[in-house]
Amino acid sequence: MEFSRIQIILIMGLMAFAVRALPQILFVGGKFPEALDRWLRYVSYALICSIISITLFMVGARFEADAAPRRGLALALAIFIAHRTKSAVTGMIAGVLLVLILSWLH
Amino acid sequence: MVMFFAVRFRQGMKAAIPIWIAFIPSSIAWGIAAQNHGLSLDEVVLMSAWVYSGPGQFAVLGPLAESKSTLQVLIAGFLMNLRFLPMSTALAPFFRGVKRVPLLLSSHVISASSFIVPYLQFQKEKEMASAPDDGYGNLAFFLGVGVTSFLVWVTGTAAGFGVALGFPPGFEEVLRFILPGYFAGLLVVEVKGWAMPLICLGSLTAAVAGAWISPGWGWLATAIFVATLGWGVEEWNSRASKSF
Repeated sequence: MEFSRIQIILIMGLMAFAVRALPQILFVGGKFPEALDRWLRYVSYALICSIISITLFMVGARFEADAAPRRGLALALAIFIAHRTKSAVTGMIAGVLLVLILSWLH
Repeated sequence: MVMFFAVRFRQGMKAAIPIWIAFIPSSIAWGIAAQNHGLSLDEVVLMSAWVYSGPGQFAVLGPLAESKSTLQVLIAGFLMNLRFLPMSTALAPFFRGVKRVPLLLSSHVISASSFIVPYLQFQKEKEMASAPDDGYGNLAFFLGVGVTSFLVWVTGTAAGFGVALGFPPGFEEVLRFILPGYFAGLLVVEVKGWAMPLICLGSLTAAVAGAWISPGWGWLATAIFVATLGWGVEEWNSRASKSF
């Protein structure tokens, strides 16, 4: 069964609300086991990395070999600057500038 | 009572100012990216206001725009939003005595940022002997952080959508880089220990192979696999070191 975009957004919001609200009812005063808490955190981080990767380097099942080096370079610069300045926004701006310059040169 | 609530709400607002500053570029970036993916203004604003989850919104943007399977979009969004579970759980004890309805309504504005600031504040106050153990006061502080950050996020998203319409053609490369670049920056600032960087690097590379095998589910499967593997190795390592 397929839904419209608006319906998908509404269902997704309900699921997000359930995740936020249920602990307020079920786990008041309680705490997650440390191991489970860490697994959830690792899965979230791994998903973010996967999304970064497929957004930058893939279109469907095709690897964008032509653009991958300059995007990879810009990503590396963004990571380096963010790490040095402890600011994600500064890193992103540096990466954006590099990707802009490299794509113009290309 | 009302005055005390207002005072605590204002305290929360003041504490949230750095979050607003961080939210402005990221919400605008999301609005730009969503516009670039072909979402309409009402879809973009609805998603920001109703889902209110930066990474979750970003995760489903591609699949949603490409009209991929509904189940796939919902699972991706659900997995991304699972991180709110421990955050909401950690905040719950500080709202002792608050009635269920205001508690449920206010839980909508829980995000990573609106969790960290109040949580640290409540911990600090708990350690002070003179601090009142007041659930409604804590809720007011939390709402001061959460509601204002939420409003900045939704407004920024709509502004980003408008900004994107004014971009000249040929800017696709930049638009495509904004959010991955921002999230990579967020990750590298937050990552600690040895397991997390390895998991990030592993999933970054494995996702390409995963998407090549199955563009829909491959990257999701590799992310869960790499995270579980890293977690398992760390668990095994810590148990082994305890037994010696």
